[in-house]
Amino acid sequence: MEVTVISEGIEGSLHPVTAQLLGATSSLGGGITVLCPGGVGAADAASISGVSKVISVEGECFMSYDCSAWSKSLAPLAKGDLVVASASSVGRELAASIAAIRGIPVLQDVTGLEEGFAVTRPIYSGKAIEQITITPPCSITLRANSFDAAGSGGNAEVSTVNQSADVTVAVKQALTKAGEKLDVAEADIIISGGRGMGDPANFSKLYEVADILGAAVGASRAAVDTWEEIPHSMQVGQTGKTVTPNLYIAIGISGAIQHLAGMRTSKYIVAINKDAEAPIFGVADYGIVATWEDALPVLKKELAALLSN
Amino acid sequence: MRALPRERSGNMAYEALDFFDIDSLLTDEERMVRDMVRDWVEDRVIPNIEESCRDGVFPDEWRVEIGEMGILGAPLKGYGCPGLSYVAYGLICQELERGDSGVRSFASVQGSLAMYPIWEFGTEEQKEHYLPKMASGEWVGCFGLTEPDYGSNPGDMITRAEEEGDHFIINGAKMWITNGTIADVAVVWAKLDGEIKGFIVEKGDEGFSAPEMKGKHSLKASVTSELVFQDCKIPKSRILPNVKGLKGPFSCLNNARYGISWGAVGAAQSCFNSAREYSLSRIQFGHPIASFQLVQNKLSWMLREITKGQLLAYHMGKKKDDGSWIPEQISLAKMNNVDMALEIARMSRDIHGANGILDEYPVMRHMANLESVKTYEGTHDIHNLILGRHITGIQSFTREP
Amino acid sequence: MGIAVLLKQVPDTTAKISVSDGRVDESAVSKWSISPYDEYALECAIQLKEAGYGDVVAITCGPQRSSKALTEAAAVGADSLVHVLVDGFLDSLQVQSLLSAAITKFESEVVLCGKQAADTNSGSTGAGVASLLGFSCVGVVSDISIEGGVFSATRLGPSGLEKIEASAPCVFTFDKGETELRRPNVRGIMMAKKKPIETVSSADLGVDLADSPLIVDSHSSPPQKPPGQKFEGAESVPLVVEKLRDEANVI
Repeated sequence: MEVTVISEGIEGSLHPVTAQLLGATSSLGGGITVLCPGGVGAADAASISGVSKVISVEGECFMSYDCSAWSKSLAPLAKGDLVVASASSVGRELAASIAAIRGIPVLQDVTGLEEGFAVTRPIYSGKAIEQITITPPCSITLRANSFDAAGSGGNAEVSTVNQSADVTVAVKQALTKAGEKLDVAEADIIISGGRGMGDPANFSKLYEVADILGAAVGASRAAVDTWEEIPHSMQVGQTGKTVTPNLYIAIGISGAIQHLAGMRTSKYIVAINKDAEAPIFGVADYGIVATWEDALPVLKKELAALLSN
Repeated sequence: MRALPRERSGNMAYEALDFFDIDSLLTDEERMVRDMVRDWVEDRVIPNIEESCRDGVFPDEWRVEIGEMGILGAPLKGYGCPGLSYVAYGLICQELERGDSGVRSFASVQGSLAMYPIWEFGTEEQKEHYLPKMASGEWVGCFGLTEPDYGSNPGDMITRAEEEGDHFIINGAKMWITNGTIADVAVVWAKLDGEIKGFIVEKGDEGFSAPEMKGKHSLKASVTSELVFQDCKIPKSRILPNVKGLKGPFSCLNNARYGISWGAVGAAQSCFNSAREYSLSRIQFGHPIASFQLVQNKLSWMLREITKGQLLAYHMGKKKDDGSWIPEQISLAKMNNVDMALEIARMSRDIHGANGILDEYPVMRHMANLESVKTYEGTHDIHNLILGRHITGIQSFTREP
Repeated sequence: MGIAVLLKQVPDTTAKISVSDGRVDESAVSKWSISPYDEYALECAIQLKEAGYGDVVAITCGPQRSSKALTEAAAVGADSLVHVLVDGFLDSLQVQSLLSAAITKFESEVVLCGKQAADTNSGSTGAGVASLLGFSCVGVVSDISIEGGVFSATRLGPSGLEKIEASAPCVFTFDKGETELRRPNVRGIMMAKKKPIETVSSADLGVDLADSPLIVDSHSSPPQKPPGQKFEGAESVPLVVEKLRDEANVI
C-alpha cells in the first residue's frame, strides 16, 4: 500500500519523530512519500532509510501555522492509502483535516501497528487499550517514542511543489510564558521534596531538575510544616493535593500514609531515599537507595543529556 | 480557588455511599441540585475547611457563593425563594454537611429558622421586604429562641417584650444563636403579656447587640452568638402577627430538624468514606487493616446504619412533600440519624488510629460537630421523650402532670 | 449569527474504567459528565453570548444518556439543545459528518469544542468539522474575545503561545481556559428542566452512515506494571533514567 508521511518540523528543522514514522511504516510494503510542509527538513527527510520520495511543499501559507490552509495545501498531495503523521498537536490537526477532506477516517495516538491491518492505541487516558482493524484508506497519527526510528542511509529524490492556500488565521503576537511555576495539580511530571532535603534552600535543586523535565515541584507535609519557605500550595498528600501524574519523583520523602494518599495513583513512581526501609519504596516502581546529594546531580545530568536529543 | 480541570487534577471522585440506590428515586432536578452543591463543597469547602476550623471563622465568600447557588430557603415558594421539593432541601443539607456541619448550620438557620417564620407567619410587607434579600444571601438571618437558662424548656423563657407607643421594648438575652453576630435579621421569640410572640430585630436596632461566643470545640467554622436586648426598641410593624405560643418556633424547628436528618447522613458518609479508604491503605502486620474481621465488622455496621438513615430521610422528605407528616416522625428521623452519625464518626476515628486525631482527616471534626448537632434543635433525649409521649400518651418531660 | 458548542458526554474522568468481555464496561461507569475540555468551550460560548454575540446552540452526538449533557448546558445558559441520537461505534468521519450537518442546519458560523474528548483522547473533531464545513480552524485556544467582528484568541501553536486573529466562519478547539465552567444555580436548573431538546437522527440530517472501514476488535486493560525495582547507590541513576524512557515511556 502507498503511504504518505507528513513530516514534523521543530524550529526550522526535521523533528526526530519523523524517523519514527518511517520506522513504523516501512515494513508495510509499498512506497513511502514524505511531505514536508513549508519544505522544512526536506533534505534530512530524504536521507532517512525507507523513503521513496520527498515532496517539499512550499508556499506563503507555511510562514505560520494555519490548520485549514496547510491541510488544503497538503491534501491533494497526500494520496496514500495510509496518511501518517505524528500525534503531536499539529500532527493530529493536520491528519484530521486531511482525512476529512479526503473523506476517510482518522485514528489518533497509535502505539502499535500490526499487519492485517490493526492498530493499538490507548483510550480513557490510558486506562484501557483499544485494538482496531482498518481497511485503508485511512489516516493515523503515531505516538512519539512508541516506534523505533528508521536509520539513515536513504537517498530519496526531493521535489518541490508550490502550493499555497488562503491563510485565514493571522498570528499577531508571540507570547512569552510568564515563567510561572507549574501547579502541582496540573503537571504530568512532579518532583517532590521532603524533610530529607535538609534545608528549604535545597529545593532549588529540585527546580533545576523540574525545569529540564517540564515538571512541577511538590512537597510533603513534613517539609511544608517545618519550613515557612515551602508554601502549602506545594503540598501533596491527604490535606494537600491529590495528584495522578505520569511520573512522580519523591526525593527525601519517607512515604508516610498521608503523603501516599496524595500520590499513590501516579502512573510511575521513582523514589530516592537514603533509608532502604522507607515506606515509599513500597509503592515506588523504581527505588534508589542513595542520598539525594549523591543522586540528584546524576539525575539532572542524565535527564539533561536525554532530553536535549 | 476554583476547580482544576478534572482530567488533570487527579482528585478521586467522591462517591457517596448509596447502597440501596436512593439515587434512582430522585428526579433529574433533585440530582442536578445535589450535584451542584456537591461540586461546590468539593471545590470550596473541603480544601479550606480545616483552616477555617483552626481559625474559627466562617468565610464570607461561602455566604456569597451559597447565595449565588440559590439554595437558601430551599422549600419556600415565591418572594425570590427557590421553591424546591423537600427531598431537594434534604439533599442540599446532606451535601453541605458532608463538608461540615457548621456550613449546613448556616443554611439551615437561614432557610428554616429565619426565612421560614417570616414566610409562614409574616405580613405581605415583611415577606416582600426580607425574603428576597435573604434568599440571595445578601442579608443573613438568625433565630433567637434558646436562652442561657432555658434550652430544652423554651416555654419558660424570660425574654420579654413590652408595648410602648409605636414600639416594642425587648429585654433579655438569647444564647447559642448560629449566625447571630453576622446576622442582619434576627427572628426573636419573646413573651408579650406572658404569651410567646415572634419579633423581627435588625442589626443596628437600638439596644441590640450580638457578641460572638468564643472557645468552642465544636462547629468551629460556624458563628455562634449571644443576642443581648437591653431596652431594645423596635417598631410595632416588626411583630409576626400570625402566630402565638410555642407553635411558632416549633414549626420552624421541625423544618430545620428535617434538614438535619439528611445532613447527618452526609457527615456519616464522609466519615465512612474516610474510614474505608484509610483501612485499605493502612498496612499492619503485613496486611491492610481492611482485611481484619473487627474492622470489617465496623465498616459493615456503618454501611447498615447509613443505608437505614438514608431511607428514613428520603421517606420523610416524600411525606413532607405530600403533606402527610407529623412532627413525631421528624423527631425520630433527626434523633436516629444524628445518633448513628456520631457513632459512625467515633468508630471511624477508631479505625484511623492515631492518624484520626489529626485534621489531615475529617473524622474528629465531624465527631466534635455532631456533639452539637445531637444537642441542638431538640436534644437527643427530648426527641426520645417526644416519641415516648406519642407512644404512651403520657408526657414525661416534667414532674407535673 | 450564533454559536454552536459541540459537547461530548464521557465517563467522568475520575470514574473507574473496567473492561469486561473485551469491551469497556459502560454499565459499570458510575458517573457521566461533559468532557472537561468541552466545558471550557461551553463557558466561552456563554461569555460570548453575554457579550452580545448571539445565542448558543449546544449539540451532542451520542446515545440516549447523552441528553443529560445538554440539560447541564442549558442549566448554565445554552439556548437551544440538539441531540443527534446514535448508538454504537462511530468513526471520526461519521461523527464529523453528523455534527457538520447539525451545525449547518442551525446556521452557526462559530463552532466551539474541546481540543480532545476525555474518552478517545483523539482531538480530531474540531479540525475535521472545520474541513468539512470549509471553516477556519484555530486549535488549542485558552481564551477568545471579539471586537468589530474579529475574534482574538490565545492559542498554543507549534512555536508556543500566540495571539491570533480570525473571523467567522471558524472552529475553535479549547485547551484549559482562563475561566472554569460556571456553576449552575437553582434557577438555571429549573429552567433547564423546561427546555426542549431537539432530537435528530442521521436520516433527519441527510447523512448516510455507511459501514465504517474501521472495526473495533477489542478493549483490554493496560498491562499490569511489573513489581517495583530497587537499586543501590547514585550509580544506578543512569539505569533508572533509561528505564523511565524505555520501560515506562514517561520521558
